Amino acid sequence: MSAVAAEVPIARRRGGGVGAVYKVEIAKIVSQWLPRVAVVACLVGPFAFAIFINTQTSVPADSLFGRWVHDSGFSIPLVVLGFAGIAGFPLLASVVAGDIFASEDRQSTWKTVLTRSCSRGDLFWGKTLAAATYSTVIVALLAITSTIAGIVVVGTDPLVGLSGTLLGSGRALGVVAASFGIALIPTLAFTCLGILFSVTTRNSMAGVLGPPVVGLLMVVLSLLGSGVVVRSMLLTTSFEAWHGLLVDPTRLAPLGVGVVVCLATSVLCLDAARRSFRRRDFAGDTRNPFTWSRLARGTLVGVGITALLVVGVALDRTWITSERVEGSVSSNFANLAVVQQGLTGQTVDASSFKVFPFCKRESVIAGPSTGAGDDWSCQIFVTGPKIGRIQVDYSVTIRPNGCYTAEGQPALIGPLHLRTADGGTVLNPLYAFDGCMIAP
Amino acid sequence: MSDADAAVEVRGLVKTFGDVTALDAFDMRIRAGEVHGLVGPNGAGKTTLLRMLFGLAAPDAGTITLRGREWRPDDETTPPGVSGFVEDPRFYPYLSARRNLELLAELDGVDPVRIEEALELVRLTDRADRKVGGFSSGMRQRLGLAASILRAPRLLLLDEPTVGLDPTGLREVQSLLTGLAADGVTVLISSHNMPELDGVCDSVTVMKDGGSVWEGSMDRLRSESPAPAHRLFTSDDDRAVEIARAESRVTVVADPDGGLTVHADRDILDGYVLVLGRSGVAVRRLELRMTALESMYFALTGAESDRTATDARPDEIGATT
Repeated sequence: MSAVAAEVPIARRRGGGVGAVYKVEIAKIVSQWLPRVAVVACLVGPFAFAIFINTQTSVPADSLFGRWVHDSGFSIPLVVLGFAGIAGFPLLASVVAGDIFASEDRQSTWKTVLTRSCSRGDLFWGKTLAAATYSTVIVALLAITSTIAGIVVVGTDPLVGLSGTLLGSGRALGVVAASFGIALIPTLAFTCLGILFSVTTRNSMAGVLGPPVVGLLMVVLSLLGSGVVVRSMLLTTSFEAWHGLLVDPTRLAPLGVGVVVCLATSVLCLDAARRSFRRRDFAGDTRNPFTWSRLARGTLVGVGITALLVVGVALDRTWITSERVEGSVSSNFANLAVVQQGLTGQTVDASSFKVFPFCKRESVIAGPSTGAGDDWSCQIFVTGPKIGRIQVDYSVTIRPNGCYTAEGQPALIGPLHLRTADGGTVLNPLYAFDGCMIAP
Repeated sequence: MSDADAAVEVRGLVKTFGDVTALDAFDMRIRAGEVHGLVGPNGAGKTTLLRMLFGLAAPDAGTITLRGREWRPDDETTPPGVSGFVEDPRFYPYLSARRNLELLAELDGVDPVRIEEALELVRLTDRADRKVGGFSSGMRQRLGLAASILRAPRLLLLDEPTVGLDPTGLREVQSLLTGLAADGVTVLISSHNMPELDGVCDSVTVMKDGGSVWEGSMDRLRSESPAPAHRLFTSDDDRAVEIARAESRVTVVADPDGGLTVHADRDILDGYVLVLGRSGVAVRRLELRMTALESMYFALTGAESDRTATDARPDEIGATT
């Protein structure tokens, strides 16, 4: 070690800055096993799911588009999207976001990076951008692989939308892409939440598990009531905004509300995280932020917010009324009747069907029927060509988000499977169908 | 010395953590181009001071001027030309040494061509592709030095840079630092081991309880240091003490761990040992207990010497029996 470094003229490039931090963080993410595992899961998972589902005789009918997984490949990415929106995207996003700051504490490397040519601001924004990039890549990967898996394993048959209309392959593909694009917005908001957890707790476990736990808590909260106000404020509701693309006519209002909620959450989380990071004293590695008093304060705040939201959900008036249910079920039925006739080789016009629905909750003896529940029933009086006048009864289960499943009587609407004009077998769209009412 | 000559100037620095005062109106000045030692017992405030020099922690009061630029609380970046490490250097364990340096070079905007040179300087070239997670403490110290050199420092701040190094590594690091200083790089080395700084540092600051208790050149420290301490085992300790009373330049006291502690300069000690022999007192063992600098260090800091028999170095003075 006798040579002297300073003898050599230093070749310098433009140093530091957000760009340099971003490049370094991406290089680190690529080198770590957990982000790699998550990427592999996104690459392999959808294919495994599609292949497994295709070998089963039953279908995951309790999820939106689940009953179509044997008939249209475009239903596979939408089922995956439905599952991922519950806790998958928050967890996948926080794999990097929840660890990206806390890992520097775990490895005691803050003093290494903070003594280079980059400011705390550079480090904060570089790391944030890297975490957001990873989240975007994860959502994009899942969109691409699940779509390819659906097309390869199941096929490109048209998809039945949430209002009973048939979506051709091209439009279905576009809707799938747009739906994942919409899911990216709350995923990025959960990324910002993960960064907040990572900065403030300085603990990777809390950073990675915090956002999905918050997400699950929001899902549970959203099941407690079917009001609009509190539900709209929950990040997880934004994961359902893509439903608006699959109804006829398209409804983008939930997307607009979701964008505002996600943007506000992201700004608040990043601002709090940035302030905490900037004023932090890196005075020693023994100063553990996880003191019992802080933990107790954090728990109290969390319980307080949850209690407020629970009360809010309970007091929030439901928007699910018998009129809205009748409107959605009747149009859905009429559109599906056209699809059903088309499958059997007959061409009819939806306007040639006259549908008169009457929907109510069985548990309501007097007064208007409102709210989510599995005790809805709809009597649908139909008049139309070749069928004359019939009455079809459906048992309807309505979930708090406005999506529902209607199950009818085989005697009147045909068996589960229909024989098509060319001799094949398809699912009878009227046997049981899903739909969504979009909140005002 | 004018302010312009100072590479580091610290005035009235205060830092408290709750009830604990880590730095208490601390002052220090380091001239450009010299190697300065910062010594003190554990808890004296050395690492806290280095953290504040790097901007990792904000002072409660006082001023810090590095290479003529005063540090302000809103400064977010380590000043250009300032490099080093605090406590043991840490890197990403899942990356190789070379990859770690590549990433740090990216953060600094340094041309990656410097990496090989830095690795060669710290003798890590042959292990550069191993993951840092498997590195020993000494290898991490070497990598820490490489990372510091990568920034082409004009002011190098090093916290205990020789911890974990074997004797060869220690000499190599000392040689590297003196080489850098010869090229005008100012070096600040924090240590709690005074002998390690001897022969490397031009000047030294001794810290105790968050304050500076002595600051000046190594030459002055040596000249002001008390005589080194030796431990002496004889056939007749009482007679040895009695003989020492006749020689004012020798202080002999009974050592609580057995034997005697003798404070005397080397030539005086030689004479005392000869007198003991002539007086019929056999010298069974004589070992260096504390160098002059260590004696000064313990006198200044009030720290107790915890040197044990196994730490003693009889070979340095030629023990006799």
